[in-house]
Amino acid sequence: MTEQSLIKLRNVWKAFKEFIAVEDLSFDVGAGEIVALLGRTGAGKSTVLNLVMGTIKPDSGSITVEGRDPFSEFGALRGRIAVSFQTDRLLPWRTAVENAELGLLILGVDKAESRRRAQAWLDRVKLTGAEHKYVHELSGGMRQRVSLARALAVDPAIVFLDESFSQLDHVTARTLRADFYSIAKEFGKTCLFVTHRIEDAIELADRALILTQGANIALAEHITGAKRGDGRMVKEMHDRIAQAMGDADDDGDHASEQNGV
Amino acid sequence: MPETSDAPPESGVARRRLTTEGERDVLATTLVVVAIVVAMQIASAYVPDYIMPAPISIFEATKNLLFSDKMHVLITLARLAASVAFSMIIGIVVGGAMGTIGFIRPILRAIIVIDTGIPALSWMLVAVFWFRDPEVRIFFILTVILLPFYALNVYEGIRALPRDLTDMVESFRPSRWQVLRYLVIPHIVPYIFLTTKSVIGYAIRMAVFAELVASAIGIGSRMSLAQSTFRIDQVFAWTFLLVVLNIALQAGVAALEKIALKWRPEVQVR
Repeated sequence: MTEQSLIKLRNVWKAFKEFIAVEDLSFDVGAGEIVALLGRTGAGKSTVLNLVMGTIKPDSGSITVEGRDPFSEFGALRGRIAVSFQTDRLLPWRTAVENAELGLLILGVDKAESRRRAQAWLDRVKLTGAEHKYVHELSGGMRQRVSLARALAVDPAIVFLDESFSQLDHVTARTLRADFYSIAKEFGKTCLFVTHRIEDAIELADRALILTQGANIALAEHITGAKRGDGRMVKEMHDRIAQAMGDADDDGDHASEQNGV
Repeated sequence: MPETSDAPPESGVARRRLTTEGERDVLATTLVVVAIVVAMQIASAYVPDYIMPAPISIFEATKNLLFSDKMHVLITLARLAASVAFSMIIGIVVGGAMGTIGFIRPILRAIIVIDTGIPALSWMLVAVFWFRDPEVRIFFILTVILLPFYALNVYEGIRALPRDLTDMVESFRPSRWQVLRYLVIPHIVPYIFLTTKSVIGYAIRMAVFAELVASAIGIGSRMSLAQSTFRIDQVFAWTFLLVVLNIALQAGVAALEKIALKWRPEVQVR
């Protein structure tokens, strides 16, 4: 996979004063792969995501995204990566379609074309008819769909998802995960997906990397087979991941119980 | 952590409550105005005209002033508009610089803090010494008084920019101008409206005061003339007109705000 890897981390260290957030971390994400980065609160997931996005610089080690250093070549990855955050982060003064076209406008796509593409993505995430609504007129699930449309509209090669479904109720989250999965696979997007919820990883990811406190990847698990397998297989997968994470956090356990895992 | 779903939000009840609140405000204002008129009528029956004229005399004086002194009202309004617009533009630039350019922030902040500490009267007296042209004097006085409000509020607006929105915009790797255009400028618009609504009444008072000290035309100078000719009915009439002017301008700004900030939901705190 190394030769085709779009994201590569090699022996990455990052500390904030005395606190070591990332310690000697190495992993790859292959082209078209959806990888979940699992870990409990404080395990360093967000730090890893910020490092890969190029918003912070590693203390040592190397990171490449599409062969470029995301920090020192920040501008070179313009339009190549997009992020969907934990909260929708929509601009309240823009309508749904205006929010969805934001990335395109920043990339310099002309207004009419940006609008056309944004509208197409809103249709794709099942928001036809809501395009002219302001943010406060949309429900949480609809807002998160706009956020996904905004990220996907720029046609990025790589999508980072930062706990993107964790604030949604379980039914909405499950629907949105399924929609995202089909879009990502249809368009061959490479995704690094940060989450603390095991069920998110099982449903969405091809592979789960578990980040433990102290920062090493504890387990690299192929979960594609289990994803759409029978309940027992999913339960086994859940238990193995939970064991690797230490104790599964409450949210994850609760979510799994609700889904019969 | 609150969980959200796909169900659309509801707002009908809040809107109904707000309408009732608006109607209540109009009723309360009407009652206060009626009470003041009645009090003035009663007082005018017991004291001489030069202390408290009857409301009907004030109404007559107002009517006459509106015909004879319309130009003075327009001149005051033009002065007000010019200085508010200029203060707004320069205040936005100064506040924007304070919020985005770290190394000049302390210098600009020091200038603004010193400016706000100087009494308006000092600026008026200084302006009389410094400038010969009354228009320049009034423009200068109003600008040095109003500009800090805009600069400080815009600066506060930029400081209040939510970090998550900044990160989101930055994730698309925008230019500095794009950050300003898509994030900072729309974000500070409510602060500009808030400042304008806050300073408009103060600006009218300062404009009239400045005209009284530094000009021979405008409402302030006409009030001075009315006072020196013992026309207390005219002093009340001008005062009444100024209150109406203030309410009209506030309503105008509020209407503009409603259009510009149509994206903002009406929120009622219980």
